[in-house]
Amino acid sequence: MSRFRRGHVVARSCLFVALLLAAALLMPSEAYALTTNKATARPNENGGSNVIGGLATRLTWEGTVEDGESVSSVTLVLPEGGTFAGSSTKITALDGLDRAAVDGFATANDNQLVVVFSQPVDEGLLIRLEVEGMAFPSEGGDVVVSGTYENASGTQQLADSKPISTIANTSLQMLVATLDEMEAVQAWNSNPFLGMFFKPQLLVTAFSSLLPGWLLCLVIVVVAYPFAIALGLVFAFMKISRHRLVRAIAIVYINVLRGTPLFLQIYIMFFGLPMMNVNIDNNVLGVIVIAINASAYLAEIFRAGIQSIPQGQYEAASSLGMSYFQTMFNIILPQTIRRVIPTVTSDFITSYKDTSLLSSVGVMELMMFAKNLTSVSGNMTPYVAAAIFYLIVTLPLIKVVTYIENRMAHAERGGGPRPKAGERSAVEEAASDDLAAAELSTHFEGLGEGQLAPVPVFARMAQEV
Amino acid sequence: MALFGKGSKGIAAVDVPPAMDAERAARLGYTHDNKLSKHAFMEGEHPVVRIEHLNKTFDGQTQVLRDVNLNVWNGEIVVVLGPSGSGKSTMLRCINLLETPTAGHILIEDEEITGRKPKDVALIRRELGMVFQGFNLFPHLTALENVMIGQTKVLKKSKEEARAEAVKQLTAVGLADRMDYKPPQLSGGQQQRVAIARAVAMHPKVLLFDEPTSALDPELVRDVLNVMKDLALHGDMTMIVVTHEMGFARDVADRVVFMEGGVVVEQGLPEDVFDRPKNVRTAQFLGSIE
Repeated sequence: MSRFRRGHVVARSCLFVALLLAAALLMPSEAYALTTNKATARPNENGGSNVIGGLATRLTWEGTVEDGESVSSVTLVLPEGGTFAGSSTKITALDGLDRAAVDGFATANDNQLVVVFSQPVDEGLLIRLEVEGMAFPSEGGDVVVSGTYENASGTQQLADSKPISTIANTSLQMLVATLDEMEAVQAWNSNPFLGMFFKPQLLVTAFSSLLPGWLLCLVIVVVAYPFAIALGLVFAFMKISRHRLVRAIAIVYINVLRGTPLFLQIYIMFFGLPMMNVNIDNNVLGVIVIAINASAYLAEIFRAGIQSIPQGQYEAASSLGMSYFQTMFNIILPQTIRRVIPTVTSDFITSYKDTSLLSSVGVMELMMFAKNLTSVSGNMTPYVAAAIFYLIVTLPLIKVVTYIENRMAHAERGGGPRPKAGERSAVEEAASDDLAAAELSTHFEGLGEGQLAPVPVFARMAQEV
Repeated sequence: MALFGKGSKGIAAVDVPPAMDAERAARLGYTHDNKLSKHAFMEGEHPVVRIEHLNKTFDGQTQVLRDVNLNVWNGEIVVVLGPSGSGKSTMLRCINLLETPTAGHILIEDEEITGRKPKDVALIRRELGMVFQGFNLFPHLTALENVMIGQTKVLKKSKEEARAEAVKQLTAVGLADRMDYKPPQLSGGQQQRVAIARAVAMHPKVLLFDEPTSALDPELVRDVLNVMKDLALHGDMTMIVVTHEMGFARDVADRVVFMEGGVVVEQGLPEDVFDRPKNVRTAQFLGSIE
């Protein structure tokens, strides 16, 4: 912190203390016979460090009986939605450090708790009420405990407590609470393996708390991918360029990126750029790294795709008088795209999974959340939840890849709707049986090998998927 | 795609004289060809294709064409015969500049097309239609689109015009009911007919056929030959056909050219070449074929 800022803070704190003092002096000390000392709540079992509304918890309230006063009863009031129903209250009175003999009984009445002491509590005593099993309003927020008390001169207003911060109860937390109580769940969790990897309560919690991480993963890869495709196409064309220098640049780019781990590339970008005083938002930088990394793989996929188009296609296009660019954009690329769709989809899957590496540099993606939740809960279930989140995307995509591949293999073998028998001429009819076989060989002879054999890059994909 | 620069510089250049003056070439060509072709010559006519001293060497060692000279006249049907490896396909591909001649001249309507810039080459190629042995249809386009794409992209015709022309040409080759099929759904014969329609729709000055029926099942050859015959007899198309179809050559050709070892061995009227071959090799070849 700079000296200037430190000074600033000191000045501000001074001002604050001064104001407090002034307030204390100026305000006519309100004549409370019972001063509210504190009101706190214990965090819920499944809420981490949070007090969740709507779920049973413990409220501890303390107040001091002022000099020359005595208090015969205290009524605590919660805001609308809070409840004392079913709670049990422990009443304690302290005289300094000594426990004073105070007795009484508490009556819970919805959001009111009336505590009547057997005899009035004397001056100087600290009254402590520990209300077990009460609940704050479900909607959460800052809850103030108010109320009344009775002294010799009648019913008096109790000073409001400092606000207790609570979080909203959701159906999810209700569910967790329900699960907690289910015997089947308890039995399930008593199995060490199931309890460690598939704890239902944590699974439920993890799904909700990993969701933002999962969405960030998706956003990163979905934003990165179009850039990766564009870059990949550029480098694919550079790699088949007739200019040696252009080719060399593309080869270096592709080989360096494919030849080094993405993990290393992430470290270089995330730690290198800030050292050069280039500060880019973590998520944006994540997109950039993933896009650059994927572009190198895509460049190779596109290059192989372009080169798998038979020479005859170039010849046919150019004998129609098409220029190089016309040939590329009207004839070669449309066919290339069809061919590389499965491979590109597989590469997309890889990139999507690779976003997990970004957790190592503090991008708040799926793995990051899973890691945090695991270290808090000491249970592996969040990782299992993360796996499920990855699979939600990858499994359908793998299915799509297989489907497209099968369809393409079929189409390239000359499949698809054949003319109906009735529409064919006698000659074709007679020839049709031999046709398939004869035509296949001649057809592919003419078109070159690329048409028949799966493009070599498919092999890579098959391995990866 | 030439990735390693153009041409083959390492070859010992074959010395060939410069291309002939147009008038002289026309005169000499007329004197030479009028006895050899059924073509109806006209007063002062110039050949549409002129091949002079064409040489082609592959990889600096395999000489495929040796000093080939040939004129093709407007509307003439020339059928090129010869055994495999005789250089007939290479000659055809040189005319289309799919192969770069090592030496010699090719002139289309008295304009030299050899040694031109890629941009000019594209312009020249649109005047020369090509039908390939392997069809080379664009598999991602329907038959109709295959015939349209050259017209729209190269000739810059409107979609409607191109479609009308494509429908006309596909109907002419008997595929009116297959226009929306993609190549893999068509038989070889149908594919080749689409390829012919695609070439014809560009209205080239010359149509080049590179063994158009060699890749076809025998039963399907007839359909393709009929289409070609129809084109030859009822159109005013200039055609150079490299083929092994003797029947087609005899019935349709104005002139038959017999090549062997990269040289034009014999040429003449089909009945002369088939029935009274002057060259021993021609006689042997025809004998072995028929």
